[in-house]
This record gives sequence, C-alpha cells and structure tokens, in this order.
Amino acid sequence: MSISLKIEFGGGLELLFSNERSHRISLPTIQPDGRPTNITDLIFWLRDNKLKERPELFVEDKTVRPGILVLVNDTDWELEGEGDYEVKDGDEIVFISTLHGG
Amino acid sequence: MSDSCGNPATETEALMPRRRKFDKTKICVKCKTNPGSLIIRHAVYCKECFVPLTTHKFRRSLEPFVNAKPDGPRRTALKPQGNLLVGFSGGLGSTVLLDLVHRYYVVPDKALIQDDGGSHHPRHERVWKRVVVGYVEVCDAFPSMVERMSDVRAIMEGYGGFEFVPLRIQDAFDPCWWKKIGRDPVNLGVDMTDEALKLLRLEESTSPLEAMRSYMASLPTTTARSTALQTLTRVLLQYTAQANDCSHLVLGTSLTSLAVSLISGVAHGGGFHVREEMQEEWTADQSSDREVDVAKKATKRHGLRIIRPLRDVGMKECGAWSWWMGLKVVGRENWEWPGFKPGIGALTKAFIVGLEKDYPSTVSTIVRTCGKLSPKGIVEGKCISCERPIQSGIQDWQARISIRSRHNGDEQAPFEEVAESLSPFLCYPCRITLTSRSTRPILNPFPNSNHDVSLTPLPMWTGRVLHPPKTSGSEEGDAEIVVGRTLARSEMKNAVKEFLLQDE
Repeated sequence: MSISLKIEFGGGLELLFSNERSHRISLPTIQPDGRPTNITDLIFWLRDNKLKERPELFVEDKTVRPGILVLVNDTDWELEGEGDYEVKDGDEIVFISTLHGG
Repeated sequence: MSDSCGNPATETEALMPRRRKFDKTKICVKCKTNPGSLIIRHAVYCKECFVPLTTHKFRRSLEPFVNAKPDGPRRTALKPQGNLLVGFSGGLGSTVLLDLVHRYYVVPDKALIQDDGGSHHPRHERVWKRVVVGYVEVCDAFPSMVERMSDVRAIMEGYGGFEFVPLRIQDAFDPCWWKKIGRDPVNLGVDMTDEALKLLRLEESTSPLEAMRSYMASLPTTTARSTALQTLTRVLLQYTAQANDCSHLVLGTSLTSLAVSLISGVAHGGGFHVREEMQEEWTADQSSDREVDVAKKATKRHGLRIIRPLRDVGMKECGAWSWWMGLKVVGRENWEWPGFKPGIGALTKAFIVGLEKDYPSTVSTIVRTCGKLSPKGIVEGKCISCERPIQSGIQDWQARISIRSRHNGDEQAPFEEVAESLSPFLCYPCRITLTSRSTRPILNPFPNSNHDVSLTPLPMWTGRVLHPPKTSGSEEGDAEIVVGRTLARSEMKNAVKEFLLQDE
C-alpha cells in the first residue's frame, strides 16, 4: 500500500530538484523494517530519487541540513515531532531554504 | 591521548539532554486559542499572530529612525528628510524586506495594517515620496555564476511602485558611473606587492570589468575577497542612495545574518565597527582639513541613515513569511571561487546556522550583546575603502607588534605617486583585507586576465579624498616621508648579529 504526498520546495531549494517547485510522489506506507514511513524516510527518498546535484546541501547527519525550514501541512515540523512524524496520505510537506542570505 | 577529565563519577557516554523545542503547550502563546504553526525561539505562534508579530518587529526597528531626530517618548508623524533606498540582493532577507516595505510604505496593505491609529500611521499619507530599489549584480566577480538581473527585474515589475536602479559590481571601478552621480573621477591604484601599499595614479586604459577582476584577483585570501565584495556592494548602494537624495538605506539583514556578520567582522579585525554593522549614519563628504571635491549635486542637508529593519527577525521567520505570503525568492548563490577554501564568513555562517537549529536563543543573544558593546578608541577620520571610522593609533600599534624597517622614499616609482602609503587612510579590517597573507596559495579566478599586482585598481571613491602631491617647491615637497615595511630574514639577522652567541 502506498501514500501520496505533495512536496514543495522554496527559498531557492528548488534549484537542487530540477528547478521544479512542486512534486507529487508516492511512498510505501510501511518501511521494510516494519515501521510506518516517517519524514526522515521521505528525506532520504528525495535525496536518492529526486535530488539532481549537491546532496550535502539538502541532507546532513540523517536529517535536513541546518537552515532548511520544514512545514508539514503548513505547520512547523518541530511541532509535529520532526523526523519522527509519520506521513499520511495527502500530506503536504514543504522544504524552504533559509540559507540564501539577506 | 585521553579526553577524560579524570572524574570517575561521570558517565562516559553521557550526552547533554536535548531541550524541548517549545515551552509549555502547542497552543499559540499570543492568542492562546489557535493551534501553533511556527516555533520562534521556543515560543509557539499561530499563523494569524505570526504576521502582526513580524510586522511589529519590522516597524519597531525602522520607524523610530525615520525622522531626523529619533523619536522620543512622544511619537510624531513620520517625515523623513529624503527618499528611501532598499538594498536588494535576491536573498531571503531582502525579499522579505522588499515585501514589507511595499505593503507598508508603497501600496499600503489594508489586511496587514492593524488599526492601531496614530498620526504617524502610514495609511494617512505616503511616508517616502520615492522608494528606490538598488540591486548590485555580482556575477562578474566569479568565473561561473549565473546572472540574476532579469529575475530581479521581473520581481520589481511584479510589485510596481518601486524605482529600480540596477548596478553591477564593476561600477565601483567605472569613471562613467562616478561622473553620472556627480563626482569627478580619479583613477587610483595600489602596489599590493609592498606592505606599505604605495598609492599610484593609473591611466584610464582598463575597462571597469577588468579593473574589478584585477582588484579581486589581487586580494590575498578568500576572506579578503568576500569582505571586499560585501564592502563594494554596500558602498555602491550608499553612493547610489546619496545620488537619489535618499535619507534612508534599508538592508535585508536578518537576525541570523546579523549575528554572522558581527562575529565574522570581529574575527577579521572589525570589532571597532560593531555599532556600524548594526546601524550607522553616513555622509559622503569626508571631514578633512584638505580641500575635498564636493559633489556637483551637493546634498549636504541630510546624511544617510543605514538601517537593518529585520534585525529582530530570524532566518526561520523570514522563510515562513516568504512561503505564507507567496514570495518568489530569486536566491543568491554562495560566493565560491575556484580552489575554494571557506573564508571566515562562510565558517561563521555554518557555525551560527547550526547553533540556531539547536539553541535558537543564542543567536539573538549574540546580537543583543553586540548591541551593548561600545568600542574604545578615538575616531581618526573615515576609511576611504569602506567609509567607516578609522580607529586612532592602529599604525603605531601595528608597528609595535611587528618588526619593520624604514626607507626614505628615494626609490623612483614607475608611475605617478599620489601618496607613499594608503595605510593611514584605511581602517584596520580594510588594511588586513589588503595585506594579510595566507599560508596556502590562492588561485587567480581569472587566469586569462591581464593582471599586475603592483598596479591594482582601487574603487572610484578612494580617489575623491586624496589629492596628488604638489609639484616641487611645495611646502610638503621637502618633508621626510617615512614608510614602514616588514624586514626580510637576512635583514633581521643583520640587525641582531652582534648580539648573537657564536656556535662552538
């Protein structure tokens, strides 16, 4: 069984993902080790399947690089448990880079 | 080698307990009703409360400084003395700044402006008659950076109501641009092979692009190049503001960026400019007892106030604002040159951004603490490179901390000398920018350019405050000119050889 997610990139981060701001993807509901898919799994999936260049600008130490704001359904992921948040069908996850200066 | 402190009672694998990302509950701390959408330094805010919070921080940092006299206890109507220049880099902070300026001072956004009344309220009349946006394209300082001018222009057209002034980084070396803003150009260069930084008059044979690239290639370290680029950009904007009769220049430096610039500034010798890094008042005419060439369009009735209205707004808040307001961020590439090793600025940024992720309050503490600093020392003029105060006594201090010799200036310069040394006219960080040496060789990013380090062009504004020495017979012509330089190893040995013990 799979879940459909809407992924958006902002703040210049879209440049790493073929310059496409919006993506629709499908992920399995359960990971091979039996646990529900969470945002950390999503991050690694994006790195391995959608990222075109410079993975170190997106992922660092098993999470997103510092300076990337993540919103889950318009809410700060820090309020939803960060990488441990279990994604649901129809969720909208936004990755916004805040690193491109002032 | 053991890293242990030797205390047998501690757990060897103990980790510092991670602080919760937010205090108390997930409900907004302001309205105490809505579920929170964003955590800002451990406090939870809903989207509805985040917007007025951000606009309040923006206005609090800007509006008290709009009038010539900063507001006292009784708030008066906003009446600036001139126009407003918004410095736009394409980055996140300046994108948010542009949006806030447009919503408040160009086409007031009724949805945004709370009904808090007052005669100073911007809805009553436009605060600034002209709002100019200055953008400095820096791609030509890099071998392979994409130009963003067309994207920036599209954003300006999307807004409407702004006057757009596009600039290129090489305008700093362009006599035509200098004439266009009402000043007389003098082409100066510096001998970067000599630590004394002999100042020379150049012939006008290089293009501004070549002159800029020659200047960047001559700089000794990555830190120096990044610092120089920031200085060129800022001073270009300052002179553009003055040429457009602006009384205020606003920059999109966020709280996070400000912490980075403060720490990295101190790290490369700019501690004396901590206050200027946060906010400064600038006038183009340097006070001097020499004659200065006054701008043809003299606008001495007011100076320029340089303000960073997003200084209390962190990068995360800027990111949330840009997303929720649907702003397009052009983006700003990292400043990297071939064979790039991170400079002080890049290393500081990595540190501060990492710190903000785990300890967000620390970043605001950095800025608040720096705001309390009051550097010691007397101001001795204005630096001709960065237009910031020169701390008195730095030449003497540098002479005391390094071995130097003196020479009497008998050597004939190949070109007309304007001054024996640029050093007395530079502040400490600018002097370090030009003279520091790296242990690692730094590549020339433009190997095909015709580049002579002994004749490095200088920005146009360095020429306006220096005057060539008068012809022979002048009152200055017979004065002894003393220039310091670092001794070679053999010279140092010769100076002390009579005191050395012989090897037996």
